[in-house]
Amino acid sequence: MEVQFGIVGKGYVIMASDTNAGRSIVKMKTDEDKIKALSPHLLMAASGEPGDTVQFSEFIERNLRLHHIRYTHPMRPQSAASWIRRALADSLRSRKPYSVNLLVGGYDASTDSPHLYWLDYLGTLVEVPFAAHGYGAYFCLSLLDRYHNPEANLEEGLETLKRCVREVQKRLIVGLPDWKIKVVDKDGVREINLDL
Amino acid sequence: MSIMELNGGSVIAMVGKDCVAIASDLRLGNQALSISSNFQKIFPVTDRIYIGLPGLASDVATLRERFRLRVNMYTIKEERELEPETFAHLVSSTLYEKRFSPYFVEPVVAGLSKLPTSTPESPKFKPFICGTDLIGCLNFAKDFIVCGTASEKLFGVAEGLWEPDLEPEDLFETISQTLLNAVDRDAFSGWGAVVHVLTPDKVITRTLRGRMD
Amino acid sequence: MASDGGAYSYSLTVFSPSGKLVQIEHALAAVAQGTTSLGIKATNGIVIATEKKSSSLLIDSSMLDKVAIICPNIGIVYSGMGPDFRVLVAKARKSAQAYWKIYGEYPPTKVLTREIATVMQEATQSGGVRPFGVSLLVAGWDITRGPTLYQVDPSGSFWAWKASAIGKNMVNAKTFLEKRYNDDISLEDAIHTALLTLKEGFEGQMTEKTIEIGVVTVPTPAELEASQVGAATGRPTPTFRILSEEEVRDYLAL
Repeated sequence: MEVQFGIVGKGYVIMASDTNAGRSIVKMKTDEDKIKALSPHLLMAASGEPGDTVQFSEFIERNLRLHHIRYTHPMRPQSAASWIRRALADSLRSRKPYSVNLLVGGYDASTDSPHLYWLDYLGTLVEVPFAAHGYGAYFCLSLLDRYHNPEANLEEGLETLKRCVREVQKRLIVGLPDWKIKVVDKDGVREINLDL
Repeated sequence: MSIMELNGGSVIAMVGKDCVAIASDLRLGNQALSISSNFQKIFPVTDRIYIGLPGLASDVATLRERFRLRVNMYTIKEERELEPETFAHLVSSTLYEKRFSPYFVEPVVAGLSKLPTSTPESPKFKPFICGTDLIGCLNFAKDFIVCGTASEKLFGVAEGLWEPDLEPEDLFETISQTLLNAVDRDAFSGWGAVVHVLTPDKVITRTLRGRMD
Repeated sequence: MASDGGAYSYSLTVFSPSGKLVQIEHALAAVAQGTTSLGIKATNGIVIATEKKSSSLLIDSSMLDKVAIICPNIGIVYSGMGPDFRVLVAKARKSAQAYWKIYGEYPPTKVLTREIATVMQEATQSGGVRPFGVSLLVAGWDITRGPTLYQVDPSGSFWAWKASAIGKNMVNAKTFLEKRYNDDISLEDAIHTALLTLKEGFEGQMTEKTIEIGVVTVPTPAELEASQVGAATGRPTPTFRILSEEEVRDYLAL
């Protein structure tokens, strides 16, 4: 049971994910980083089939890196999201589709605007002000409807995220004690240690 | 669970007097959970053709890109503007190409087609709408086309509200009321709507607020 | 050399040091030996006509077809090698039907012409083939450009003409057409001009058995409405047809 959140605020996107790696009922690892930095201003949180998530994220990461090297500039968030969607949509109708759900958050340096995209393994893509994958979505989307503010500064945004994480920890039958939180803004990507 | 109903969403198109209208809701869901209230399902093809794509959201995006490619290639190769009838056949053949692993989308096309007697000085247009099933069986209707998770409800309301030869503003009112009232009875459609009215000299696009519950 | 295959079996169309592709020039020479064909565009249609020559009296010339219908709105005529023409006709017809399967209508003349020209160009650049030994006149009608007449050469180049001639006597025929042509010629006049032009270089008797004529007509708005989606037939009215022997005889008698 994985839970991931993405929240857009004024000039930033917060991405948060639990850090559990498990197999059936066994917890294998509690410090798995499920949020990858794809380029200087792009983050991607992946959840789903364990092998697929790693394989697919690395495939995306290497291809976006190749684009960066070839054209000397990184892909903009909208283009990256579109490219990733196409990779998932092509995979869906292949012999063995990847079952990976994603949140892609980025800061577009050319328009100075943050963007968050919700993608699922079917190749669905939509830009949203906030998003969640996993059971957290059922608990927290309504919460985010109430508390999300696109004009909020980072402190306020992190407060909203805390509400979501606490809600999951309180109501979800599986405890998810440890979380990894990353932020992308005009200065790039960084990790944030938050006292949950 | 049907894959056609996974993401929800509905589209409707109506014929008026020298104009056509096409409208859709804005919801994107995952079964009963709503993900977005700003998911566009209607796209411009040319200045005089719009296409609505209700169904699986992944295929909505894929088909939109595919149609854009094929229409661009057509316009460049043939050095002429695409007519709605031709586009409808293009939609049909694109879908039928995937007869045995189809795109889960039932497109609706609305446009104004140039009459054979039309000249650049005095252009004359005829309203055109049509729908297809997911493998491209064309349905040329003279009144309205409904599609998506609220199609049954849309049929009911449209049957009651539509009348022939509506002027653009009246057509806008009719299609808007039809859509809003139909999606209110459908759990998988709603969350706002967008309406386009195509007239010979302009396209009127309006976003409507619907019930957000 | 080339006959023993291996490393030296290049494509036959290799540039000569002077920048010419001699195989293409030879192909044009083959065309120039072929019987004369011509096309004239009129205000309300197009006529394409050709001389039909058989090597023996015993050949049933009524079974010989030099003008071919590609689709209801397009017809072509050739000068040069008959068998090569047959191959192109088959490819053109297939291409027109493939277009119909996608768009629900037949291709415009320009698109079909380009399609044929592409096939002919490929024969000048592929290995193991020779260029087509024909020039074509493509006549057709479409909603965007109305009646149009194209010439396609073995090299794959094509042009739109008001009037043109190919094959034996093409130079004389073109000079004749240049004198006779004007921009507001009617289809009836064009057919007569076509016959007169053919007569110029004709060997032997010109009868309905020894010439063939195809015409493009412009449909009326009523005919167009009838072929539209949702109308009674929904089928395109043919705009190209080959004249019957009786019709040709009537034109010759005038």
